[in-house]
Amino acid sequence: MENMKKLFGDVLDIDDVKGVMIFSFKGELIFKEFLTPISEEPESREWGPLFIDSLRGIREADIVYESGRLYIRKTGLGYLLILMGLFTPVAMMRLNCDILLPSLEKSGASKGLAHFFKKKK
Amino acid sequence: MVKNVLVVDDDRELLLSLSEGLERYGETFSVLVAGDGQVAVEKLKGNSISLVVTDLKMPNMDGFALLAHIIEQYPEIPVIVITAYSTPRMEKLAREGGAVGYIEKPFMIDSLARKIMTTLRKETEGGTLHGVSSGIFLQLIEMEEKTCTIRLVDKSSGKQGVLFFRNGELLDAKCDNLQGEFAAYEIFSWDETEISIQNSCGLKKKKINRDLQAILLEAMRLKDEAAQGQESVNEGREEDEAEEVTEIEELEIPVDENAIRDKFKKEIGRNLGVEDIYEDGSWDGLIAQMSRIGTFFAAGRIKISYIDREESKDFILLPGKTTTVISVNPRCPKDRIIQILSG
Repeated sequence: MENMKKLFGDVLDIDDVKGVMIFSFKGELIFKEFLTPISEEPESREWGPLFIDSLRGIREADIVYESGRLYIRKTGLGYLLILMGLFTPVAMMRLNCDILLPSLEKSGASKGLAHFFKKKK
Repeated sequence: MVKNVLVVDDDRELLLSLSEGLERYGETFSVLVAGDGQVAVEKLKGNSISLVVTDLKMPNMDGFALLAHIIEQYPEIPVIVITAYSTPRMEKLAREGGAVGYIEKPFMIDSLARKIMTTLRKETEGGTLHGVSSGIFLQLIEMEEKTCTIRLVDKSSGKQGVLFFRNGELLDAKCDNLQGEFAAYEIFSWDETEISIQNSCGLKKKKINRDLQAILLEAMRLKDEAAQGQESVNEGREEDEAEEVTEIEELEIPVDENAIRDKFKKEIGRNLGVEDIYEDGSWDGLIAQMSRIGTFFAAGRIKISYIDREESKDFILLPGKTTTVISVNPRCPKDRIIQILSG
């Protein structure tokens, strides 16, 4: 988990980025890090059947809300979600993702992250 | 600009005398030294080197290994070999390995200096241009199918970059620690550059697989996005400083095709890569899920989504009774479009 935090350090340092989550393709939460409080823990939700399935086929999505923005990127591990405010320099954030994704996929194949993919008993 | 020449030899006395002897050419180049190939590799990482002079027989990493490393990693840097154990076979090997010069020890410092200056001059043999935007010039290289190495310096930041062209094709780019497409995006975003042209290209392998036009377009898009992002940050800061609390206005997205096209034309004066605009209920499920996420992190209602499905088109989704879909060319300035549509 520390490795992941380190990996996303540059993204989390970008102005107005509020948090990062990674979900496996089955909807399991692999990683989360929030810089601002959230009203609900992501573990309390079921992400698999509806949300993750709805992303099938999507490589990248950028969603603008009334008071925030969400960037979704497909990776070798699953889907990366970056929660942002409206003032995040999105191009910079996207470029950082381009740079870190190969490392993320590499780390995903390593022993360090293997436990995240174990099936729940 | 004074160029850096890296001299690599395990003979400390020779290094010292070369450093001192070459000082008189300080207006043209300055000398950095390394005691073996491994140290040289480190110096290459941390410095902007224009030329390497290296001995062949050295401990740890010899001159041949260093030559191979430079040809692979820094094909724009010429290498002159100096050796005390010269044989025709060794010279052949060094030249086949990519060395542009071969000098036997002992040698006169002035003759080495002349060789260095002749080689450095090749960096600009095709001429230099000052204060230009690289885009049009590079498109000319493509049209003329030139083979060359282009060195660029960004006038505002002092950053340096190198582009490798063979028969008009962009093979690779380097800038700071970036290489390939990312380096090209950085270089192509520079507004005012100093350009030096070398009429040869040491690189043979193509490392960039997109064509020049696509990379230029993408670089412009990234630059626009970065500028808009910065503007937004600045605006946000100004608002914070003024302690003004302003509510985000509800989006008034025009939902018919003509209104959207008119909006683009009015804001930008062109079509922005829009291909089609239509209503499509098959996206409603995705919009509903995205809306749930908005609720999860208290971001309010969804205004607009940009979707890339690795197809020949990307999709902009506008929520409504039925989702309005704008299909666009993936090379369109997506952040500009999002900005226009979200008000």
